Amino acid sequence: MRVYLIALLAFAGLAVAPFGIGGYETNVLMMVLFFVILAVGLDLVTGYCGQFSFATGAFYGIGAYTAAIMTRDFNTTIWVHLPAGAIVAGLFGLLLGIPALRLKGHFLAIVTIAFQTIVYLVISQWTSFTGGQVGLPMPNAGPVTVFGVTLFEFGSLRSYYWLTLAMTALTLLISWRLVNSRLGREWVAIRDDETLASAVGLDTTRGKLTAFVAYAALAGVAGVLTAHSLRGVTPDDYTIWISATVVAMMVVGGRGTFIGPILGAVFLAILPELLGKFAEYKMLIYGVLLVLVVTLMPEGVVGRLRARAAR
Amino acid sequence: MDLFLQYMANGVVIGSTYVLVAVGLTLIFGILGVVNFAHGEFYMIGGYAGIVAITVLKLPVLPAIAFVLLVAAVVGIAAEAILHKPMKNHDATSSIISSFGLAVALQNAALVVMGPQPQRLNLDVSKIPVLSSLPTDFGPVFLPQQRLLIPIATVLLIAILYVVLRYTWTGRGLRAMAQHATVARLCGVRVERVAIVTFITGAALAGTAGMLMSSVFFVYPIVGNMIALKAFTVVILGGMGNVAGAAVAGLLLGITESLTSAYISNAMRDVVGFVFVILVLLFRPQGLFGKAVERS
Amino acid sequence: MTQFSRRHMLAVMGASVAAPSVLRAQSSDPIRLGGMLPLSGPASIEGRQILSGVQFAIEEANAKGGVLGRRIELVMEDDESNSTKGVTAVRRLIEREKSPFIVGTYASAVAIAASKIAAEYKVAMLSGGSTAAGATDQNTPGDPWFFRSWPDSNAQGDDTARAIVEKFKKTRVAIIHDNTNYGVTLAAQVTRVVSGVGGTILSTDSYNAGEQDFSSMLTKLRSLRPEAVYIGGWAGDGANIVRQAVEAGIRTQFVGSGSMNSDDFIRLAGPASEGFAVASLYEPSTPNPVGKAFGERFRARHNLDANTLSALGFESMTIGIEALRRVGKPDGLEIQKMLKGGMKDFQLVQGPAGTTAAFNAKGSVDFPNFIAVVKDGKRRLDV
Repeated sequence: MRVYLIALLAFAGLAVAPFGIGGYETNVLMMVLFFVILAVGLDLVTGYCGQFSFATGAFYGIGAYTAAIMTRDFNTTIWVHLPAGAIVAGLFGLLLGIPALRLKGHFLAIVTIAFQTIVYLVISQWTSFTGGQVGLPMPNAGPVTVFGVTLFEFGSLRSYYWLTLAMTALTLLISWRLVNSRLGREWVAIRDDETLASAVGLDTTRGKLTAFVAYAALAGVAGVLTAHSLRGVTPDDYTIWISATVVAMMVVGGRGTFIGPILGAVFLAILPELLGKFAEYKMLIYGVLLVLVVTLMPEGVVGRLRARAAR
Repeated sequence: MDLFLQYMANGVVIGSTYVLVAVGLTLIFGILGVVNFAHGEFYMIGGYAGIVAITVLKLPVLPAIAFVLLVAAVVGIAAEAILHKPMKNHDATSSIISSFGLAVALQNAALVVMGPQPQRLNLDVSKIPVLSSLPTDFGPVFLPQQRLLIPIATVLLIAILYVVLRYTWTGRGLRAMAQHATVARLCGVRVERVAIVTFITGAALAGTAGMLMSSVFFVYPIVGNMIALKAFTVVILGGMGNVAGAAVAGLLLGITESLTSAYISNAMRDVVGFVFVILVLLFRPQGLFGKAVERS
Repeated sequence: MTQFSRRHMLAVMGASVAAPSVLRAQSSDPIRLGGMLPLSGPASIEGRQILSGVQFAIEEANAKGGVLGRRIELVMEDDESNSTKGVTAVRRLIEREKSPFIVGTYASAVAIAASKIAAEYKVAMLSGGSTAAGATDQNTPGDPWFFRSWPDSNAQGDDTARAIVEKFKKTRVAIIHDNTNYGVTLAAQVTRVVSGVGGTILSTDSYNAGEQDFSSMLTKLRSLRPEAVYIGGWAGDGANIVRQAVEAGIRTQFVGSGSMNSDDFIRLAGPASEGFAVASLYEPSTPNPVGKAFGERFRARHNLDANTLSALGFESMTIGIEALRRVGKPDGLEIQKMLKGGMKDFQLVQGPAGTTAAFNAKGSVDFPNFIAVVKDGKRRLDV
């Protein structure tokens, strides 16, 4: 119960924040929320289920391009794109999950890097379908109407921020329920000892595939939100650097904990804004942090604090 | 036919670099079980070290090569201290994240130190003894000396590696570790030393490749990405940990790419390798030349 | 614990509410003008050269007493060639720095994303190097918010293709381009125009940006015996191709896209760059007297030749400052109106003599590209 209360308070605080801050700060907060969704998603597959993925940027991009291409071809709205982005990215997640059934650790890591590279090549070079390097523009999200009554004007940054916040809350709630469900415990069993898990009769195929689908679908949702907020998509927003950043967020915060990747995302997403003119060293800092954290406290900041509290 | 021979020669040149990078990668995996995602950065550092030696320090070629090898040794020792030594009590997957982090850090450090612009090594072949007197025309095939140097150096280095692995005490230790780490340790193989030697060897091979290629192509901070992907392709095709397999697969990939570019479409050349890898991983994960052994 | 953090949070929020009124500029304070360029990452080579032009424009304006009686201060944002970053940067420049117009940016995709946001705030953007037709085509005709004081890449392809056939008299042309939007659209335009003015396209090959080995592609090309080879792509790749082509024994007229109009290209390609032709918007040896004078001042200040990039950075910032001066107050909407119609008499350093900032309905200025040819390791207009 306490967890829900704290979460509720945090979201209430974030919901009133735009009244106290400017558009620039709201925009930064919104970016942080995108990364929170991505990091929590990656944690499902890597932290809980133990399957590596360096392809977060690819699923993020698949979600974003689903929104942009549907806008262009079917003139649909964000309400259609959110489930569509989750489904399309989820399907690609299933596709990447298949090699995960046969491959372990490093092999899987290599395949996900190859997948990330191929997705980037496709979105940056299939110009007739994806707009190539320049990407695709999207119109303003427009007003949101329910039974003909305008609820929000999503064109405005503030209301779009609220939508993002609501979607973040929803995805976190779903993830929270997932990891605390029977399925979530199966993931942990697969991560800890796959042979044992299958020996006691767990369906490891189902476990791994669901973890990949959940991860990809969350990244897809983040992609749809990002595309609409930027009013367009460009391939360079969905590179392996995004994947690296999200891996760093998860690892620094703490793999296999729920709150860890959230804190990691908040910290590493705000960091470049605070670095000012040193922001160009951002990726260097992420890389060094990854090495240091894995070497000195592989369980991450939250994992270390928990272990200490338990002792 | 004449053109075909030229395409083959081009493929052998580019394939030789893949061999140099991939052999080190597969050695590190086979002996220490570390998958080094930062291996492409060894190549990148070798390229920059070559440029520093020849254009900044104005060293002649042989001392320049020695300089590159020295830098590679330092990089190898440092990489071992980061990716292998502290990981003994961690789960095997930690070194994947750690080497990925190291790759990201090294690329961005290079960006800060060397800048984003591509750079080239101006290697004056006419001043290099022996090499300058080599022919450049072989019947219908033309290879400038900078390019010719690459397969020659590859053959030399691989031959040296073979002799070392086969006939020296260190080499025997390395092979023993690859076959069975615990038994090797019991028989008195010093694991720490073997680990350091392995990383130095890997860094030296990749660094030499980087230096040689920077006189033909360019070096820039993220040049290692593509070469690492190619090397992983080669390692997987050849079978993880299989040195001879990597050598054959490297040449094969180079030639395939060259022929794809000539007869199908240049745009397809990078895709061919990926398709190979995905097929091999799905149907023959032990590689084209590997024995079916469960490795995990 | 909870209570402390809540109080702490309220304090932080209170501070950020109060901040804007403290920061509000007094009229005697310097006026802050925003710029946005890729200053880190791969495109920072171009970004930094453009920046040197932008800074030079500010220096010169301040030496003449600033604008509206106030000193000018440049506020730069690094967009890392990334749209997410670019959009944040624009909001920051407009909200925090109150920049009445923005100069930026180099990557067209980022320029498009950012200028949409800027338009919502009623703040005009002046291109910081973006040349894609898409950036000005997305403007509502007659009401542009993204301005580019030079022709787009389609016009560049057009002028280059005509030069190949009409100036160099080469009709058998081979095309090599990278798979980026820049390379693809330029190659398509050159192909269309070369065929239209009586040339033949022998072959078209594409490559992925950053690819290193072109030997087999070029071996095949040699057997087709082209009279001219057009390369559309980034400068590094272009230099690599030209060098390897000479190695492979191809000796013909090489022509490149505008991105290869750089001294880096000549340095990387070495002697192979001799005779290489490239479309150019500005050269220090320009016949345009305004441009020539700029080149001399720039050289005196930096002991370095101005080039296309520094010229366009200078140009965009100078036009913005002049529009601000003519409007008389830092009002984004008024400045856009001034740019739309009020600058037709303002002479530019780019383009032929007499080129002025007469933006068309889409926010572009049209003038013919120069064709520069590399001779003795330097680009020249007179050959």
